[in-house]
Amino acid sequence: MEYFIHLGILVSIYAILGLSLNLIVGYTGLLSITQAAFYGIGAYATAILITSYGVNFFVSMLIGMVIAALTALLIGYVLSKFDGDYFALGSFGFNIIIFSILLNWQGLTRGPLGIPGIDRPEIFGVTVSSNLSFLILSVLTVIIIYGLSQMIVNSSFGRVLKAIREDEKAIQIFGYKTHHHKLVIFMISAVIASVAGSLFASYISYIDPSSFNLNESIFILSIIILGGLANNKGVIWGAVFLILLPEALRFVGFPTDVAAQMRQVVYGLILVFLMLYRPQGLMGEYKL
Amino acid sequence: MSILPQLIINSIIAGSIYSLVALGFNLIYGTTKFFNLAHGVLAAVGGYTVFYLSKMWGLPIIPSVIVGVLFAGFVGYLVDRTVFRSLRKKKASGMVFLVASLGVMTALQAVIAIIFSSQFQTLSTGTFKVYRMLGGVITQVQVIILALSIFIMFALAILLKYTRFGKAVRAISDDEEVSKIVGINTNKIIGRVFFIGSAIAGLSGILVGFDTGIEPGMGLSLLLKGVIASIIGGIGNVYGGVLGAFLLGFIENFGIWKISGEWKDAIAFGVLLTFLLFRPQGIIKK
Repeated sequence: MEYFIHLGILVSIYAILGLSLNLIVGYTGLLSITQAAFYGIGAYATAILITSYGVNFFVSMLIGMVIAALTALLIGYVLSKFDGDYFALGSFGFNIIIFSILLNWQGLTRGPLGIPGIDRPEIFGVTVSSNLSFLILSVLTVIIIYGLSQMIVNSSFGRVLKAIREDEKAIQIFGYKTHHHKLVIFMISAVIASVAGSLFASYISYIDPSSFNLNESIFILSIIILGGLANNKGVIWGAVFLILLPEALRFVGFPTDVAAQMRQVVYGLILVFLMLYRPQGLMGEYKL
Repeated sequence: MSILPQLIINSIIAGSIYSLVALGFNLIYGTTKFFNLAHGVLAAVGGYTVFYLSKMWGLPIIPSVIVGVLFAGFVGYLVDRTVFRSLRKKKASGMVFLVASLGVMTALQAVIAIIFSSQFQTLSTGTFKVYRMLGGVITQVQVIILALSIFIMFALAILLKYTRFGKAVRAISDDEEVSKIVGINTNKIIGRVFFIGSAIAGLSGILVGFDTGIEPGMGLSLLLKGVIASIIGGIGNVYGGVLGAFLLGFIENFGIWKISGEWKDAIAFGVLLTFLLFRPQGIIKK
């Protein structure tokens, strides 16, 4: 039972990440390969604030969200002038930089040693110590974020995003400053990803930079491409499927190191086959 | 002793490696117009083929390097044949190509890690000769790197300028549809371009392997440098890529004069951002 609860928590965390990325890739049509960077910012903000300063989990999450928003503002200011290949490439490079900062700024992040002993969240003096209660917290977060992103994409702001995706020039002619919209949605997405990072750090209680490298961003991208671009329900299914799939591989009985690499092979092949035969994903409403 | 000559030597060597990656990348970008993220992993394919042949089979170095370069080229050709050719047929958008190449990169890199483990390996056997030059030190491997990259630069330039194949490649980069109409077999030419570009990437991986070492993820950082070099030099322009590569090599190595070496990647990315902001078309505009 504990095992299923563990999987449930992982699915929730990746569902949050998928929902956040879908706002950019699915609804705005910008291929961003950097979600793990903001995920890492949230996780490290929580880890450092809890272990070194004894801050409450939810305060650390808020601070992480602010840091993620500011970083996204900075990098998004450059990226929002671009679309297509250049946007993808710039975001790709940004992920590598954040990863190298996490790895090399040893005074702050302890580098490859990682940060152990991160406490569980505490609400009104009650610690969310059992995995079941943590699962409830994660699922609640998913529900809130799902509602929030549905609200965003159905609002007038969301309609402008979809218009940018379909034809940026045309919507510019109507007087919309599209790079403001791109920048805002990039920041919102970064903030949501950092929430997932805070949850992850507090659940696993130990983090190191390897959880936030480029492969992680590619994994999150596979979730939303498989589930379906511009379809939030599809994203949830994508997260469920891609988290449970490698668990099946585990029962085949590969050694752990090989199993981890096998997962990468599977994710890579899924991307290639989807691009070849169904570029909109299983339930997608938008084709790349 | 002044550190300046050594910095200049290091910059030139880094520039040569980056220019090899950028040459292959630009060649492929020029004809297919998409960012081939799988380009870097072919450097690892080349490096590991040489590792397999020379360390595990005990083959002499020169033949294993030749096989390594050819094999990297062959894998690149195969990827084009199986994945990108069908995407071209469907007239897929640039983003679809990009995601597909991302998938190829992830899968190939993991396959290498499964076969050879993720450990860092070096290709060089024993010690190489070291030369002193103007107060700096340069190893024999680095001299070979420099010589080979200059040779390949000129060979590629001549190939593109004076042969029938080169004319076809330039025609396709101008307009693929029209080239098809005038009777150029575009798929065949693009397949060859993938072979040549990937073989050059394989060579750069092998050279890095002799200079420092190889690991399955090595392609990623090489790719990033090659792409940055291409963008700051002028994307799709073979000579621009070389110029950008040397510029990047110098900025990186002089950048870490005062701060520690782990920040090379961050410096390289900073250069890219500066160019994207102020001169997105690169030094030489195509």
